[in-house]
Formats: sequence, structure tokens, C-alpha cells
Amino acid sequence: MGAGLIRDLGFGAAALVFLLLIPAFGGGAGLNDFLIYVAAYGLLALSLNLLTGYTGLVSFGHAAYFASGAYSFGLLMQSGEVSVPVAFVLSVGFTALMALVIGAICVRLKEIYFAFLTLAFQMMFHSIILTWVSLTGGDQGLMGGIPRPVFWGIDLSGPESFYAFCMVVFVICALILRQIVQSPFGHTLRMIRDNPERAVFLGVNTYWAKLLAFVLAGAIASVGGILLALFASGAYPEFAYWTMSGQAIFMIMLGGSRVFLGPLLGAALLQGLNHYITGWTEHHGLVLGIVIVVAVLGLRRGIADFALDWAQSRRERRDAPADPAPAVSGEKA
Amino acid sequence: MTRSNAPNPSLAKSSLTPSRRQLLVAAGAGVAVSALGAPFVARGAGAKLRIGMPTILSGRVAILGTSSRDAATLAVNQFNASGGFGGREVELVVRDSKGQPDEAARVTRDLVNTEGCEIIIDAEASSGSFAVNEVVGDLGVLCLHTCSETSALTADPKLRKPTAFRSARQGIHDAVAGGKYAAELAKANGLMKWMTCSPDYAYGRDNTAQFVEYLTIFAPDVEVVNEAWPKLFEPDYTAYVTRVLQVQPDAIYSALWGGDLVSFLEQANLYQIFAGGLQWFSGGLADPPIVNALKQLPEGLHSVFRYDPDYPDSAANKAFYKDFDAISETEPTNWSWQTYTAVQFINQALAATAGNTDGMALAQEVAGATVDSPFTESGTITMRAEDHTIIDYPVAWGRSRPEPKGFQDWERGDWEQILTMEKEWKQRQGYL
Repeated sequence: MGAGLIRDLGFGAAALVFLLLIPAFGGGAGLNDFLIYVAAYGLLALSLNLLTGYTGLVSFGHAAYFASGAYSFGLLMQSGEVSVPVAFVLSVGFTALMALVIGAICVRLKEIYFAFLTLAFQMMFHSIILTWVSLTGGDQGLMGGIPRPVFWGIDLSGPESFYAFCMVVFVICALILRQIVQSPFGHTLRMIRDNPERAVFLGVNTYWAKLLAFVLAGAIASVGGILLALFASGAYPEFAYWTMSGQAIFMIMLGGSRVFLGPLLGAALLQGLNHYITGWTEHHGLVLGIVIVVAVLGLRRGIADFALDWAQSRRERRDAPADPAPAVSGEKA
Repeated sequence: MTRSNAPNPSLAKSSLTPSRRQLLVAAGAGVAVSALGAPFVARGAGAKLRIGMPTILSGRVAILGTSSRDAATLAVNQFNASGGFGGREVELVVRDSKGQPDEAARVTRDLVNTEGCEIIIDAEASSGSFAVNEVVGDLGVLCLHTCSETSALTADPKLRKPTAFRSARQGIHDAVAGGKYAAELAKANGLMKWMTCSPDYAYGRDNTAQFVEYLTIFAPDVEVVNEAWPKLFEPDYTAYVTRVLQVQPDAIYSALWGGDLVSFLEQANLYQIFAGGLQWFSGGLADPPIVNALKQLPEGLHSVFRYDPDYPDSAANKAFYKDFDAISETEPTNWSWQTYTAVQFINQALAATAGNTDGMALAQEVAGATVDSPFTESGTITMRAEDHTIIDYPVAWGRSRPEPKGFQDWERGDWEQILTMEKEWKQRQGYL
């Protein structure tokens, strides 16, 4: 077990304990709901960043997998035939399969062609949801709620147990993503992003590497969709609309793409701002837009990326040798 | 956070070293992040009884939310002005869901869990209402849906929640009333060749199918010769207008509503499609803001009642119109009277429970309750206990007049027949 894995597991465990202790310290149901919301959208953004930030594939259609997780899980639970864990695994598996089929076509393309093809597949998925009314409920969404039968002694009907479930699932998924990006495979993805020709010369099959990243990102996004479906007790076509993918891209822009948890910070910021501003003014779109413009133009990168650069420049200044400039001074003198 | 993804440190170093200005921006962002935690400090129930209202206040259907909010505000103000409840005032807390169902669910949870709201008025469109319905099923608070017309929300026993009610018209009632009204006109005037033009989404298709179903029940000889399904929020209806000119039907039924309906009629007026006696039947035209948004309202268009200050022609209705006008930038809509009625039910239930806001206690008082209403021909509206939905509300159909723009000649719906046919429909759907 490498030092990096132990460190990440320790960090994950500490984060999980902290999150689980929040209700005990009077966080309140409102804060719990907010954190569940951030966890769901955080997984969407973190998984998208595996493609966008680490592999250089800007997907405009990532919400399709988010929605796929929500719908497949909701439909399986409404069937009454399967338990929560089985529905969970089947939903993630179905979404991974869907991502495999779509990814096999999309990852052959580059840049804007890749982006638009992923968007096209997402809108096709959205159209299927709208038109297959007998299965999906069409634009009314998956009606009737999502049953939460007790499994392994866990009752998701209780708000505390549901919160704990969401946090555990979130931390596990974040750790999985973290291990992916820290692995040799993750470094291969960065190489493909920075210099795909060099990766090919070094014997990397870039197609399969990108396809695997695409499938993994889709599978993790589906977990976010499952959490949101459980939270909202339904699945809705808006989950698969292009604006949902747009939100995920905004989260990455706001939080940062070069720091692993940057997209999560972006998700928390965007959802927090949304919550705060919506309660304050009806012109929330205007205010939110100004905040984002100021952040993007002022920092010219995500907040976490900015913090990283700032810390790095500080460290370099500190580590730099004392100014050996007397010769220059002497010349001037 | 650990750095793991820098593309090229040597390149990043010179161009990305933060400046003093950027540090200030970052500090501001940090303060903003810290402040985000503030709203989640739960507010305990204070002296005021808080009623939460998730609705749509932005986007193309914002009038749904604003006209609902203003009606609720009017009703709450009147309640407080009359002394409130045992000295305890009611406070309305309105939040914008932006028309997103998952946001509606989150906002509703937040209104209860963080804002301390004890009752929910759900002024969402249908998909949002289904999301809110599930949330109030979990939370157990009293909820009145005031905008969703989808019958299944309360008619389907699998979806019904013990503390959720509908204070809004519903599709099956309008279909029976509209079908009968249109069928009688069709038989009297020989309107045998029909066309439909409705928005291409669940509400548009369901509403139109139900109208046609009952039209053909009451007038079996009628034939629907063409169907047009423009997209929701489509800006250009020229293709559909020209299709009407090609098909030359005797009558059209349309479930278009809001800005879409205005756009269609404006473009139809350019082609003067009503000049030849074409009859137009609409499920959403008689809302005053829609009527006033039209540059030219042709004479003789048919619409189901949405709201009319002159119907019913009572002092109470005119007083409502005047009071609403005093606080709102828009005229009352269908959603306004429905929301106002919801607050009436809530106030009456609160009086009956002596201020107990327990969801089930209030629900027992709302179920089967009757309130005095300025909006109905009978002067009352009843919340039917068996399926938590209102009956005896206006399902009248009227005809448009160009000057002053509005509707007249309202023909009252036959509620006895509506209830009989609704029961048959429920049996067919497996709801009974």
C-alpha cells in the first residue's frame, strides 16, 4: 500500500468523520440537505473533471450519465423487485455500459467535435426521456416517489441515516476518483492531455485510455444522479438537459480544474451562492453572473487553482537564496 | 487539497503568480465562502407563523409565480389585518425554484428545515408539484398545491399524500366541461371538421387528448382532421398558421398558454384566420394578462374561465380585483384565485385547530372544508375529502370581445355531470 494511498485514505476518513459529526454539532436539517445536494453535484463535477481537467476532453454531455443513474435507479426501485444496493450497482453498471457505447464513438474525435458529439448524445437521451412517457413519465418526471426499503439494517427514510449514507457514498466515490488520477493511468491521461503524440510514441493506446476515462467518469456521475434522485424522490428530464452539463462546467471553472477537489469547491460555491442569492433577491441570475464574472476575470482561474499558485509562489520566494546581487549593485555603483 | 494536475509548472510559474489585486479578490471569495454557511443556521419558529411558498419567479413562466405570490400576499395581509390568529401573524416566505423540479424539492425542504415554515403553498408547475408532493409526504407538513392541473396529482391514490391538497382546477374537470360546451356549439353550428394545435409536451398532449375524448363523446360526428404540435416556447408559429389556412377546419382546440398563446394569436391575426368564421377553443386564453398582452383580441374566441373581475359579477370579486391591483404589477390570473383560495383554506384550518400546525391535524380540517369564495357562482368552494381536491370552482366557458378586451357570455359548467363523468374516468384509470 503506497504512502499516497494511505494519506488519501486518512484524509478521506477524517473528512467522513467530520461530515458525519456535523449533525451532532447542531448543523440542522437544512445544512444536511445542502451537503447532500453538494455531494450529488460534486460527484458530477469531479467526474467531469476527470475528462476535462485530466484528459483534456471537454464534454458538454456529461449530465446524460447523471440522469441515467437517476432514472435507472428510480425505475428499478419503483419496480419493487430489487433492493437499494442491487439497484445501485445495476444503475451504475447500466450507465457505464451507456458511456462505453457513446464513448466508443466520441473519443475518436477531438476538441470541439468531441464536445458537440457528447452534447448531441445528451440531447438524444433527453429526447428519449421526454418521449418515452410510459416509462419515464415524460416531462412530468418519474412520478410516485422512489421507495427506500430497509437494507442491511439501514433505513434511508430517516433523514439522519440518509445523510450518513450520502456522505459515505460521496467520500468513497471521491476516493476512487482520487486513486484513479494518482495512478499510472491517471498520469497517462495527463500525458494524453498535454501531448497526445508523445503518448502514442511511448506506446500508449490513447483511444482505450480515453475510453476508459470516459466510462469511469460516466459511472461516477451516475452515482451523483442516484443521490439526487433519492434526495428529490424522483428523476426529472432537467437532469439530462444541457444546462445541467453547463452547470458542471461552471463548477469546474469556479472551483478550479488543476486541484483534485477544485470542482467540489466549485459545486459548493455555486450551490451555496444559488441558495443564498435566491433567498435574497429574485434577480439571482444577475447577481450570480456578476459573482462568476468577477471571480473568473479577477482570478483568471478557479479559486482552488489560484490558491495553489499563490501557495506555490510564496514557497518559491521563501526558498529562494538571499539576493546575491552585490555584483550588479557594484556595477551600478 | 493537494496539487495533482499541474500541466507544466515552468510555464505556470511566471504567468500565474497571483498579484495583490488577485489576492484581494481571493480574500473576497473566501469571505463569500464563509458566509455561505450562514443561511443554514435554522431559524426557530418565532411569534409569526411562517408559510413557505416554492414557485417560479424567473424565466418565461414567471407570471405563474408572481401572480400567485401576490395573491398569497394579499390573503395573508388581510388575515393579519383582521388580527391574525390569536394575535399570531402569518408570514409568507417565497422562494424561486426556477422551474426545476429538483430545485423545487430542495427549496421546499429548506423552507421547512431552515426557514422554519410550518405550512407549504406549492405554486409550482406540474413537474415541480410532483417533486414538492414527495417532499411534503416525507416531512408531513400541510401543503396546498395551487397551480398543477394534472389530474393524477390527487386523483391517483398511489401519489396522494395525507397532508397534501390541491386548490387548483384540474384537467379532467375542464375536459368534461369544455367537451360538452364545444360539442353543443359544434352540433348547433355544424362544426364537424376540427383541428388541434397544442404545445408538444405532456400537459399539451394530455389536455388535448382529454378535450377531444369528451368532445367526441358529446358529439360523435365530429372529426379531428389535423393535429399540430409546436414546441414549447416556440417563437415562430407561421408554419402552423399556414397549416390552418391549408386545412381550413371549422374549429380549432388549443392548449397553448401564456406567451406561446399570445405569439400564436398575434401571428394568426396577421393572416386573419378568424375572418372566415373559424371557431377557436382555448384552455388558457381568458387570463387577463394574456388578454391584455394581445394587440388585437378577435371577437368570438372561446375560452374556459381563468379569471374575470366581472364573473361572477359580485362585490366580493370586484373587491378582490381592486385589492389585488393595489399590490401587484400584474392583473390577477387563474393561479391568483387558486392561491388566494389556498390561503383561505389554511386560515380556516388554523382557526379550527386553535393554532396547532401539525400537518395531520390541519389536514383533517382542510379535508371536506368549504370556504366562502369571491370566484365561484355558488359563492363557495369545497375541498373534496376523498381525493383532496377542490370542486365547485368555475369551469364556465365564455366568448371574447374586442373592446374593452375581455370575455363575456359565460356559460356555467354542469358540476353534476362533471362529477359523474369524472368518476367513470377514475374507474377507467384504475383509481377507484
